[in-house]
Amino acid sequence: MLKNTFKSFNHFPKPLLGDWIIIVVSLLLIIWLFNSLWVHEDAAKLRIRLGNQVYGEYSLKQNKALTIQGKMGTTLIEIQQGKVRFKQSPCNNQYCVHQGWLHHAGQAAICLPNQISLELIGEKKQFDTLNY
Amino acid sequence: MRYFFACICCINLLSCSLKEPLYHNQSYVFGTLVDISTYGETDAEGQNITATILREFQNLNNRLHAWKPSELNGINHQIAQGNSARTAPDIADMLKQSTQYSVQSGGLFNPAIGELIQTWGFQNDEFHALSVDAKKIAALVKTNPQMTDLVIKNNHITSKNRYVQLDLGGYAKGYALDVGMNMLKKQGVKNALINIGGNVIALGKHGEHPWRVGIQHPRKPNAIAALNLESGWAIGTSGDYQRYFMLDGKRYCHIIDPRTGMPAQGTQSVTVLIPPQANAGVLSDVASKPIFISEPNKKQDAIKRMNVKDVMIIQENGDILITPSMLKRIEWLEPDAKKHIQVLQSFS
Repeated sequence: MLKNTFKSFNHFPKPLLGDWIIIVVSLLLIIWLFNSLWVHEDAAKLRIRLGNQVYGEYSLKQNKALTIQGKMGTTLIEIQQGKVRFKQSPCNNQYCVHQGWLHHAGQAAICLPNQISLELIGEKKQFDTLNY
Repeated sequence: MRYFFACICCINLLSCSLKEPLYHNQSYVFGTLVDISTYGETDAEGQNITATILREFQNLNNRLHAWKPSELNGINHQIAQGNSARTAPDIADMLKQSTQYSVQSGGLFNPAIGELIQTWGFQNDEFHALSVDAKKIAALVKTNPQMTDLVIKNNHITSKNRYVQLDLGGYAKGYALDVGMNMLKKQGVKNALINIGGNVIALGKHGEHPWRVGIQHPRKPNAIAALNLESGWAIGTSGDYQRYFMLDGKRYCHIIDPRTGMPAQGTQSVTVLIPPQANAGVLSDVASKPIFISEPNKKQDAIKRMNVKDVMIIQENGDILITPSMLKRIEWLEPDAKKHIQVLQSFS
């Protein structure tokens, strides 16, 4: 069986110009589809940082509640099908909670007292850093 | 057919090696988030250099802290008792430079009003809504602490006014940007981006393109605009949306008008772009304050005084005042923003 496969592989006709065109075009098509569909799907990702470390990266396409132990206490983060927010925080001012839901790549919320930040990242970042 | 497989293998290899040489490190210093990116260094080099710079920032923070025991805090204690204080040469230089900017700003940039800032509760990691006794504020304003009260000679500091209490909160982050920039250059780093609590300085590029910086919308959790920050340029924003508290529906922000002792009102944010120069970082921090504090009809004077060209002001009512050169560089990300633009033609 295996021998036969090799045999037929050896006798594979030499590809002609038309074959090459089809191969190249289909390759380009695959690459284009990969870029436009796959990458886009994956764009809605959440990066959580705790202090100096990346705490974790999560897909936004889910419902999930996270409890993170920060410098001051426990922060509750809620992911809900494409969006994320600080649900509860031990900090005084609650700026992070008031930020509300984040939806789009490039959005970020940060809780300075508890040293936790949320960042929505896409495949193409809109910018390298944020001036505020 | 073999070529076909070779092709596929090549594409796979390519996509594996395409991870860009971008290294990113962040930490909490100066009561805010600091992050440093390098481009073109290995991860090990990037880690090494950024960690060294972050340590130096921590060191500066410990020395310049306004309300925890620090060298600057020690100077404040000596001044309050009418004594002379000895200081390190670099801190003496910082104070001389701050004095110079304070004079240039007509006293609107005033790092001598530490006591006012403390009274408002902003010398704290977290702030609470508090109603401040108007009489107390008036009395503090009357003590008239000015940077020009300081006499700095041979690293000794005396003050003609015991009420001078130094708080470099509007200067230290910018100073640190310049320190970080010099350290990067000394280490031979070609491309890097430093962000200290929103004040940003750029070195080199991000690969083929300039470093790109988003400008935070003062009232929404996203960027209002973005621009390219070319090598050596710095950008800084003073806003009423990071350090503030609300009381009876009114916003009290951390930027205090030294003339009234009250938090500055009427402005959401002021963003300045500073061209390459030795103290670009310092200017990105300092220059926005006098513009922020100035009344609406005096803002253009403040821009001229501080000698900046690229400025964007977002007023309380959402109006965006912008100089023509700044307008040229900016790309709006908030579709609504364009409706509110007023170009400051006198700066063209």
